[in-house]
Amino acid sequence: MMIRRIIIIVAGMIFLSLGTGHAQNVTFEASAKTVVGVGETFAVSFTVNAQGVIFRGPAFPNFMVISGPNGSTSSSIRMINGRTTMSIANSYSYYLQATKEGSYEIQPATITVDNKVYKSNSLTIKVIQNPGSSGQNPGQNTSPQNRNQQQGQTGPQSASNDVFVKAFISNAAPLQGEGIIVTYKIFTKVPISQIAFTKLSSFPGFWSQNLMKENEKNNQSTQIIDGQQYVVADIRKIVLFPLKSGTLTIDPLELQCVAQVKRPTKTRTGDPFFDDFFNDSFFNNSYSTIEKSLKSNPLVVNVKPLPAENIPVGFNGAVGTFSFNSTIDKTKLKTNDAINLKFTVSGEGNIQLIDKLDMTFPPDFETYDPKITSAINPISSGIAGTQTFEYLVIPRKPGNFTLKPVTFTYFDLKKRQYVSISTPQYAINVEKGSGESAAITYSGVNKEDIKYIGSDIRHIKNQPFTLQKTGVFFFGSTFFYLCLLIPLLLFIVLIIFWKKQNARKADIQLMKNRKATKVARNRLRKAEKFLKEQNKEEFYIEISQALWGYLSDKFNIPLAELSMESVNDALIKKNVNEEIIRQFTETLNDTEFARFAPGEKSLFMDKIFNEALEIISKIERELR
Amino acid sequence: MRTQRRLLLFLVFLVTLISAGASGYQVIIDRANKAYSDGSYANSIDLYKEVLKNGYESAELYYNIGNAYYKLNDYSSAILYYERGNRLDPGNEDINFNLKIVNNKIADKIEPLPELFYKRWYDALVSLFSLDTWAKIVVILFLLSIFMASIYFISRILILRKISFWLSIILFFSFLFTMLTAFQSYSRLKNQHEAIVFSPTITVKSSPDEKSIDLFVIHEGTKVSIIDQIGNWYEIRIANGSVGWLQSSTIEKI
Repeated sequence: MMIRRIIIIVAGMIFLSLGTGHAQNVTFEASAKTVVGVGETFAVSFTVNAQGVIFRGPAFPNFMVISGPNGSTSSSIRMINGRTTMSIANSYSYYLQATKEGSYEIQPATITVDNKVYKSNSLTIKVIQNPGSSGQNPGQNTSPQNRNQQQGQTGPQSASNDVFVKAFISNAAPLQGEGIIVTYKIFTKVPISQIAFTKLSSFPGFWSQNLMKENEKNNQSTQIIDGQQYVVADIRKIVLFPLKSGTLTIDPLELQCVAQVKRPTKTRTGDPFFDDFFNDSFFNNSYSTIEKSLKSNPLVVNVKPLPAENIPVGFNGAVGTFSFNSTIDKTKLKTNDAINLKFTVSGEGNIQLIDKLDMTFPPDFETYDPKITSAINPISSGIAGTQTFEYLVIPRKPGNFTLKPVTFTYFDLKKRQYVSISTPQYAINVEKGSGESAAITYSGVNKEDIKYIGSDIRHIKNQPFTLQKTGVFFFGSTFFYLCLLIPLLLFIVLIIFWKKQNARKADIQLMKNRKATKVARNRLRKAEKFLKEQNKEEFYIEISQALWGYLSDKFNIPLAELSMESVNDALIKKNVNEEIIRQFTETLNDTEFARFAPGEKSLFMDKIFNEALEIISKIERELR
Repeated sequence: MRTQRRLLLFLVFLVTLISAGASGYQVIIDRANKAYSDGSYANSIDLYKEVLKNGYESAELYYNIGNAYYKLNDYSSAILYYERGNRLDPGNEDINFNLKIVNNKIADKIEPLPELFYKRWYDALVSLFSLDTWAKIVVILFLLSIFMASIYFISRILILRKISFWLSIILFFSFLFTMLTAFQSYSRLKNQHEAIVFSPTITVKSSPDEKSIDLFVIHEGTKVSIIDQIGNWYEIRIANGSVGWLQSSTIEKI
């Protein structure tokens, strides 16, 4: 064995050095799987059995090119009955991924060998819908690193069922908000190691929580599938809470692992001798480690909406089984002391999604954002734990306050209905604290200008003051109205009295006026009598009185006010002729003169008597 | 003349009758003043209130009670009594001064709504004198007006008649105006619709219902105007014009 191998190697070296340009039929072939699944990665190889240059690959419009072209060369030497032939295989491979269903043609590639252009054959690839279990599909896609090992061949077919990943779902039709558990399990017949996730599933529309810690992975068991024994291990376990209703898809999980796989037992020649020869343990160890890419199956979850009727106000999306309670550290305190109010939601369900409570505090409380602490434990059916909301509030003003009850509403999965739990109402009694800080916050001293700092109220009134009956006022009292009414009445009485008096006075004047002529005539008649008797004294007195009295009565001039001037005025006022006035005053003067002048008085007596008679009758006429 | 003298006698008699009843309380007031000066404010309040209880009041009495409450740091009570005093004698400078001081000590600072100038002036005029002072002015103006009218009627001197006639007219219109002012003052006094908040903190509601929306918060010592009442709820307005409902137990009418 050893000798043969050495011979071959030595001979090969010799023949290689002899030159490669042997006349030979150049073949340029394309090869690939003819049937692939959607999403499957497969290799397309273009192989030329000569040293070629300028390789032009086709375009792959219907596939996704993962890598390529990757060139590789292999050579072989055959010695048959002393005849030695050397063959060269120059291959260019692409790794493609099928993206959609259908039948697609891969156009030929071209290559130049010895200045001649060769064209490969075209290929038809049929892409089919993936079978339900993804266990079948991984394995074909060998990573480029394995290529040299496998001498440009496509991956070993036998590995496809040796190891695969499968996703399981606890409940494919949950309610919105109900937790479901997705478990990824790896099934393997061969030893595997170094599992590394290349693409974690994304969970659009879900809130997810990993249930497995990084290092705890090996929950291994054995399971027999189709008569084959597999080792099964959980590699990933996630609880998902659907955030919306409808059909949601969970993308497949992709991972790489290193597996020890049985070597393929295939030769290219089909020659039995060489098959035996190469399948010999010297050339072909039964196991080799290969790196494998695995992909799980996608999952479809049909999320049902929560009952639409009777949704309580304040329902925030909590679904599960919960209890809710609150504690307060004190209800009687002083201003600026802190109150610690704690609400705890505990139970099973999407507890971490409960991130706020409908809590309002009186406006005079200084409040801070609540401190939210979660204590979450993964359990077999999902997540259980407590969510604690700690409020720290500081009352700044004294008074009695009420903390309104807080209601927590969730959908109970067991009872299949909405449940509301309320905490008790707390009555808070805040007393005025001794500290000055409370006063500072609203003290008027700060509010106003500095002018009132140190100011004080004015002192009380110490001097006696008058008290009055409560609710009794001077205004509106009877006395007040009397004060107005009595003077008014007095005024009216006075006016009436005055009017009457005036009227009477007017009557007297009228009478006097009417009598004036009569009185004057009487006086004159008397004077005439005295004239006859020659009684001068009496005569002049009568004449004088007749004239003055007449004026007084006629013109309503009091006797005391009588004088030459006042008489003059009165007569002018009455529109008496000036001639008459002059005559009248002359007569008056004459009378006075005759009366008081010494000497002969009798001489003028007749003349004065006639003048007086004349002037009075003249005035009478004038005034008429 | 004789009737007038009789009226005067009657007036004197009435005044003495009123003051005679009250004079007995001067002793109590003196004791209260002494207690205040000694610093036992609570005692002085009790004594002052005894006078009130017997049905007597005065602006000065309320002023003294307000001062005593102020000294006890009971600002809302102080404000209440100052306001009561201010009601009886709006022009009292001491009351207004102390009221200003104590209003700076309370929690709420409310910007009053600006009022139209003529309303402000008229309010200031009405507040110039106490109601009874206004009433006295009314009576004096009326008497003067009548006196001038009498002169007009009686006098024979032309110039005197002219002067007295115009004076009488002017005085009569002044009388009518002061009468109106006094009425204004009287209606303010009688239709009491202001109150002082006594609860440390009140949340004013949008409607007379505990469950209604919280509108704003006022604190003790704040003066509110009562607009309406339903059951034990008052609709109130604060100085800046905001309106809301609160429970009647939280406030005290002035």
